[in-house]
Amino acid sequence: MTNMIELKGTLAPKRKPRKKAVAFFLALSLSMTGLSFYGAQASVFEKARETVLDVMEPVLTLFGAPSRWIGARVGNVQDYFRIYAENKRLREENAELRVWMQDALSLRRQLSYYEVLLETKMPEPATFVDASVIGENNGPYDNALILSAGRRDGVAPGQAVVDDNGLLGHVITSGNSAARVLLLTDYESRVPVFIEDMEVEALLTGKSSGTPILETFEQRPALERIVPGSRIVTSGADGLLPRGLPVGEVARVQGETVFVELYANLRTPDLVRVVEYQFPVVDDSEEISSDEVTASADG
Amino acid sequence: MVDLQSLRTLWRQATPSLALIAAVILMVTPLRLFQGYVPTPWLPLLIVYLYAVYDTNAIPTVVIFAAGIFQDLLYGAGIGIWATAYLAIQYLVYSQQEYLDGRQPRVVWAAFAVGAMIIAFIIYVLRSFLAVGFQPLGPLLYQLFITIAVYPLVSMLFFWLRARRVMAEDRER
Repeated sequence: MTNMIELKGTLAPKRKPRKKAVAFFLALSLSMTGLSFYGAQASVFEKARETVLDVMEPVLTLFGAPSRWIGARVGNVQDYFRIYAENKRLREENAELRVWMQDALSLRRQLSYYEVLLETKMPEPATFVDASVIGENNGPYDNALILSAGRRDGVAPGQAVVDDNGLLGHVITSGNSAARVLLLTDYESRVPVFIEDMEVEALLTGKSSGTPILETFEQRPALERIVPGSRIVTSGADGLLPRGLPVGEVARVQGETVFVELYANLRTPDLVRVVEYQFPVVDDSEEISSDEVTASADG
Repeated sequence: MVDLQSLRTLWRQATPSLALIAAVILMVTPLRLFQGYVPTPWLPLLIVYLYAVYDTNAIPTVVIFAAGIFQDLLYGAGIGIWATAYLAIQYLVYSQQEYLDGRQPRVVWAAFAVGAMIIAFIIYVLRSFLAVGFQPLGPLLYQLFITIAVYPLVSMLFFWLRARRVMAEDRER
C-alpha cells in the first residue's frame, strides 16, 4: 500500500522547509552573478574554472564513454545501410581530388621557385595538437566544448581549434589536462575573417544559433556585393588565429544581415585539432640597421 | 568495525545530493540526443524540483548552491547563474508547499511547467545582464520545452527509486 501511494506521489512532505536558508543562498548566488559582471575574467574565477576542468577531465571522459560507444555503434549501422551511395560518393570525390592534387603540386613548385627568387622569409608552419571532445555546454547559451588536452600538451588560450572541415572556435581556458573552446556560434564569439571573392575584411559574430553573421567594416556598398557561396577564411587580423583557415561560406543575405554556413561540424564534433601557430616577429634592429646603412650610403 | 546499517542509511541520505551532482555532470556530457538536434533537458532542475515537492530538505540548500556554482564553473560562464536558477525553483516550491501538498502528479507537472518558465526568465535576464545585450530567446524556449516534456519520464524514475527506498526502510524496521 505504501508503495502504491509513493508511486502516485501523493505523500505529504513530513519536514518543514528551510526557506530562510534558501533565501540566504539565493541572495549569495545573485550577488556572485553581480560580482562576475565586473570580474568575469578575474584571476580567481579563471583559476577556479581551470581547476574544475582539470579535476573533472577523467570524470567527463568516464561519463561520456557510454554515449560515445552508442554513437559509434549507431554510426556503424547507418554506414552499413548507405554503403553503396557512400562508396559512389567517395569514388567521385577521389577523382576530383586527384585533379586538385596535380594542380597543388605544380603550384607548390611554382611557389618555391618564387620564394627562392624573392628570398622570401616564410613563417614557421603551424603544428597541431590532437584532442577529443569530452564535454560540451548543453545550456541554451555558452556554446563551448571541453577538450582532453591542456597546457601540458601545448594548448594555450587564443589558439584556433579546427576539425576536418574548418574552424570550430578558439581556446578560452586552458587547464593542465583539459581546455575549453568557445565555438563560433557563441554569442560572445568575434573572429576577424576575410571574404575571398570580394577581398573584404569582416567580423564573424556568433548569435547562439547554427548560423553566425558577418559584420563588415564598410557600409552598404560592401554588403550589396556579397553573394551566397562566397568563401570565408580567417584574416589573422587579431594576431591570434593564423590567416587562411577555412571558416565557411555565405549562406544568404537578408536585408543588412549576412548569414554564414560554417564548414565545421559543430553539432557532433568528436576529434579536433588545436592549431599551434606563432606569428612571425619583425626584428626591429634589422630594420634600423638596414635604414642606417641606406642613410650612410646616401651621405 | 563499520556498521553496515549506518552505511546504508548514509548512502540513502546522500543519494539525492549525488543524483544532483551526477545530473550536473550530465549537463556537460556530450549526449547528443537525436544527433545533437535535441538539447539535454535541465536534469538538475527536475531533480531539485521533485525532491523539494516530495522529499523536502532531502537535498541540503548548500548542496544545491554548490551544484549550481559547480555547473557555472564547468560552463565557464558567469558565476551564480545556475545556482540562482536551482535555488529559485526550490524557493518557489517551498513557498507553494501548501498548494502542492497532496496534489495529483498532473497538477504538480503543470506547476513545474510554470516554475520552469519563471526560471527560464531568470536565466534570460541574468544572461542578458552579463552579456550587456538581449540574448536570443529561441534556444532557451526550445530547451525549456524539452525539459517540461521529459518531466513525466524523470518523475516516474523518481517515484520508482523512492518506492524502493521506502520498501527497504520498511524491511529494516
